[in-house]
Amino acid sequence: MERLLLQYEVEQWLYREAEYLDHLDFQSWLALMAQDVVYQMPICMNVADTRSAQDYSRETFIFNDDRNTLQMRVDRLNTDFAWAESPPSRTRRLVTNVRLVEVEPEITVLCNVLIYRSRGADIEADLISGERKDVLRREGDSLKLVRRWFLIDQTTINTRNFAIFV
Amino acid sequence: MHDADAINLATLPPRQLKEFLTNTVRPDDGFIPAYIFSHPVIHQLEMEKIFMTQWLFLAHESELPKVGDFVTRDLGGHSVIISRGQDNQVRIFLNMCRHRGMRLCRDDRGNEGAFHCPYHGFTYSNLGLLTGVPFQRDIYGDGFDKQNFGLIQAKVEIWAGLIFGTWSANPPSVKEFLGPMAWYLDLVVNRAEMEVTGPPQRWVVNASWKLGADNFVHDSYHTMYTHASIAKLGMVPAADYSKQGYQIDCGQGHGLNFGTPTPDFIFPQNLMDEYRSRLTSEQFSALSTMKNMIGTVFPNLSFLISATTFKGSRISNTTLRTWIPKGPGQVEVLAWVLTERNATPEWKEASLQSSMFTFSPSGIFEQDDMENFIDITANSRGALPLRDNIAFAYLAGLGRQPVEQFPWPGTAYDSKFLEHNARSFYRAWLKAVTSGGE
Ligand code: FES
Ligand SMILES: [Fe+2]
Repeated sequence: MERLLLQYEVEQWLYREAEYLDHLDFQSWLALMAQDVVYQMPICMNVADTRSAQDYSRETFIFNDDRNTLQMRVDRLNTDFAWAESPPSRTRRLVTNVRLVEVEPEITVLCNVLIYRSRGADIEADLISGERKDVLRREGDSLKLVRRWFLIDQTTINTRNFAIFV
Repeated sequence: MHDADAINLATLPPRQLKEFLTNTVRPDDGFIPAYIFSHPVIHQLEMEKIFMTQWLFLAHESELPKVGDFVTRDLGGHSVIISRGQDNQVRIFLNMCRHRGMRLCRDDRGNEGAFHCPYHGFTYSNLGLLTGVPFQRDIYGDGFDKQNFGLIQAKVEIWAGLIFGTWSANPPSVKEFLGPMAWYLDLVVNRAEMEVTGPPQRWVVNASWKLGADNFVHDSYHTMYTHASIAKLGMVPAADYSKQGYQIDCGQGHGLNFGTPTPDFIFPQNLMDEYRSRLTSEQFSALSTMKNMIGTVFPNLSFLISATTFKGSRISNTTLRTWIPKGPGQVEVLAWVLTERNATPEWKEASLQSSMFTFSPSGIFEQDDMENFIDITANSRGALPLRDNIAFAYLAGLGRQPVEQFPWPGTAYDSKFLEHNARSFYRAWLKAVTSGGE
């Protein structure tokens, strides 16, 4: 029962986070981050001898951020010179297949994410698909993101940039 | 009076196409027409006249440290395997089986003694020799000489750890090809023992490869406005931070902007002895006064040494990138981060992190650059640019005299906010695409 409640709480947290990002409410989004958050997205590769899992780089990242750099990205988006998101993309984050992996001492959760991104008047939208592995920590009566690991399902990125968050 | 029709490049005979190019691409007058950034005929011509003939950067030697290591890349629109063979030699193989043309290797990288074709199982050693044909005797009898069916190879040359390849049958040496650029490229990839920090980032965008190469070869002017957000964040002191220094033309379309002076030494301080021992004293003094450096080796290898204030301290990062044409107005970017092998782990980590935060698909410089390249490419399409010969102004610094008695190689101009190197880049481009024939 407790597990079920936790599952529900975590799912709601993930949905709320997606909503903040889709609605460009970056201040509320930042407030979900723990002070010591590690936010990473490695690049993936085609390698034959990895039968069991997708191969990714341990060195090359698209995002390798902490609280400080996430704040800088948000501050930048708030300047009048953030051309890559001006006007902003329309994004829709679909967060599904939510699986609790660990619940103590911190919560580790896997989920599948599909981000639809439409830019300008372009009729060809970008689809960014991947698996997230998040670690959440209870701080007071809310959950904070301590670690995000986004494994993208692409070796060659087809979106013009990652001026958006994953 | 009625409007003139847009010219149809696809039906022009070669000689008239050449004429048209020479009449519309006018680097000497500072005019570069829009159509060259997306026209299919231009793309085809570039693939044939530039990307099939020039030395192209493919990989860094540190990506292939061990015998048997390989990576797959693009050389002139063809998939190639860059392999360190059993004999420790680096070779470039066309990634195509000689039997029916199947793609031999579908991995981005790995380590193999031999490559096995998925179709009928031909086997090639990592020296490029055909070593195994299943049931050879049953099927071919004695009439099949394996020696005649080794993998097709491109020419390869390694210069200061940079692996270059070309499909040209008679290329000049890479050193000759680089000319005065070699001296500066030394500062980028040879100032110390350098290594890649990992596999390259790869992404594809709908932009012309030339716009990236053009930006890196000359354009510091854009930093003031495109990258205004960076100054707002305090990562650089002021928006016009990138003005001071030299624009240096190294000939053959190669060029760079050398930012100087610098308030501090931007490389790891503890490696002074290594820098001194590997560089000439002139090169070392250049390194000491460098604030940043950005350039392009014609056609599509760009480099950047950038120093920013990141998490409270000044840190530099060194990156290489290639702009690989994928189609008319489409480019694949490969970007590598290099660090000094003997730098401290902390320095390497900080340099890598600052690089990814600034120049990568998520990089806060990169994203805004790409935005420009994409929209320019979109604007260059369609009938109007051709019909009305819409050209862009590459006029800055036209007629300006170079710095006299400049102590370093190349022809230098005082200030980085110039368009001189772009004119030289398009001069080299025009020469290449109008070469040969009749
Ligand atoms: S195509 Fe490679 S073995 Fe037949
Ligand atoms: Fe830029």
